[in-house]
Amino acid sequence: MSRTSGAHTRNTQLCVLLQSDVCLLHVSFPCFYSHQTSEFTLLVSNLNHAVQSGSLVVPQVVLSAFQQHKEVKLKSSPADLVTETDQRVEKILISAIRNRYPQHRFIGEESVAAGERLELTDSPTWIIDPIDGTVNFVHRFPFVAISIAFTFNKQIQFGIVYSCVEDKLFYAQRGGGAFLNGEPLYVSGQQDISRCVVVTEIGAERDDVALSTTTSNICRLLKLPVHGVRALGTAAVDMCQVATGGADAYYHIGMHCWDIAASAIIVQEAGGVVMDTDGSEFDMMSRRVIAASSATVADRIAQVIQAFPCCRDDEDNCRCGATGVN
Amino acid sequence: MADQWQSSMDHAVAIARRAGEVVREALLDDRAVMTKSSSVDLVTQTDQKVEQLIIQSVKEKFPTHRFIGEESVAAGESCVLTDCPTWIIDPIDGTTNFVHAFPFVAVSIGFSVNKQVEFGVVYSCLEDKMFTARRGKGAFCNGQPLEVSEQKDIQQSIVATEFGSSRAPEAVDRIFCSLKNVLSIPVHGLRGAGTAAINMCLVASGCVEAYYEIGIHVWDVAAGSLIVCEAGGVLMDVEGGEVDLMSRRIIAANSRTIAERLVREIAPFRPPRDDAPPPN
Repeated sequence: MSRTSGAHTRNTQLCVLLQSDVCLLHVSFPCFYSHQTSEFTLLVSNLNHAVQSGSLVVPQVVLSAFQQHKEVKLKSSPADLVTETDQRVEKILISAIRNRYPQHRFIGEESVAAGERLELTDSPTWIIDPIDGTVNFVHRFPFVAISIAFTFNKQIQFGIVYSCVEDKLFYAQRGGGAFLNGEPLYVSGQQDISRCVVVTEIGAERDDVALSTTTSNICRLLKLPVHGVRALGTAAVDMCQVATGGADAYYHIGMHCWDIAASAIIVQEAGGVVMDTDGSEFDMMSRRVIAASSATVADRIAQVIQAFPCCRDDEDNCRCGATGVN
Repeated sequence: MADQWQSSMDHAVAIARRAGEVVREALLDDRAVMTKSSSVDLVTQTDQKVEQLIIQSVKEKFPTHRFIGEESVAAGESCVLTDCPTWIIDPIDGTTNFVHAFPFVAVSIGFSVNKQVEFGVVYSCLEDKMFTARRGKGAFCNGQPLEVSEQKDIQQSIVATEFGSSRAPEAVDRIFCSLKNVLSIPVHGLRGAGTAAINMCLVASGCVEAYYEIGIHVWDVAAGSLIVCEAGGVLMDVEGGEVDLMSRRIIAANSRTIAERLVREIAPFRPPRDDAPPPN
């Protein structure tokens, strides 16, 4: 599968700095990019180097906390957890980025939980999940990811998912392809649903309607049949399995924009498709997604699964607050 | 006192590692897929090749030992466990994952004497994690000791399970009934890596509190069963009685408390036993 090799010129240079004493990365753009001269390529090689040398602070914060006992609070349900590390990591990231780019905006999971308004505008916006897979993190189940997406004019420009315990850095830039630790990623290209491995999550909802819908969706898919259904506990890492070709599709109802914004562009740049669960265009605020190796498979899944009612991320009265209940 | 099965165990670890290399190399090629009991019960030439590799190597060193191997049984060999030293082999646990290059694929070798598992080796070859246990001597991953989670509250637990390769409507409906019941407890979450052996090692590692499944085979769980026990965990049948590795049903948990709680939620059914005589 060939990569887009033409250059897309935008207003400013993509420039990525890694300041190992502060933050995972600082990025400014939109950008001029081609594979030979792109500063995004520089970004990636810097990121890889920093990951290898262990100089990235944010993953260090996550990994050292991974082995410790964690104080856990509940958010919207008994299965919707948050820890002090989630909050700390998000503050580090936002602070470092804001320091360099004071005009940029943020949609961060824990900021929103603390009452910040969730609104996607045309402004350069960072969409951050400091720890995707908080339940995994609490249990030391080894799939925990930092997810960072950047949008401009409401369009995702690039995404980074760092699966910390596995030490896997997934990333993609619009028009520039998708990569894992420097190697290009391609979806499986599978068109036949009966040969698919599908990844999904049960999610944090535990009310009867959501559970009935969720389990009956998986049941219907299995009976098609599909080859199998898998669940790793983090939407970001699940979706990256589609980008690697290791899975053929992912779907989820009830996750949030910060869970999937980065991996959505990673899947697309690996040649896959993303769409809403009803088959309509992908809308990252809708809290529904299908990511697949092909439109055929995505459409087939859309025919089979049903969504339970879920308020949009950008609806004013839809919040997952930290309730402090333990 | 010297351990009379130490050399067998050392051999199991070495051959599992070698088998893992074969699996990793095969992942670089196309993997032609065949089916067994259903359109989603997959097998490849690599499964068969790896099983032969293991069995041949064992026969050379331990000519009196016996075998129960997944692909040998599929080819018609007996699946009856005797008192003889017996190697219980799943050459690739997670064949569906292997076919798709989904990153969890294990070589599983359990060794039983007098129908009791004496050691277990599970090599998660894409993660390069070697899980081992020797009866009475603990469980390890890459040399580090393993301990199950201390969590006794089911509502703070993660449970691993799989949907299996049966697509028979009765089986699927029971599996989903159990799934919904367990989720409704509620539990923190449900996970499925796609291989029973690795799911059991996740219990032993303390990452999940329990794993349950109906429909697995003895070769999927023989090694993992000892690894869980030696990490401090327990095994139980899905209806609460003693586990029977030939029954194709298992709960592996960090504690009796968690296991017994799951028993209340699982909708049981009885697949044909592994040691049942083949139908005429």
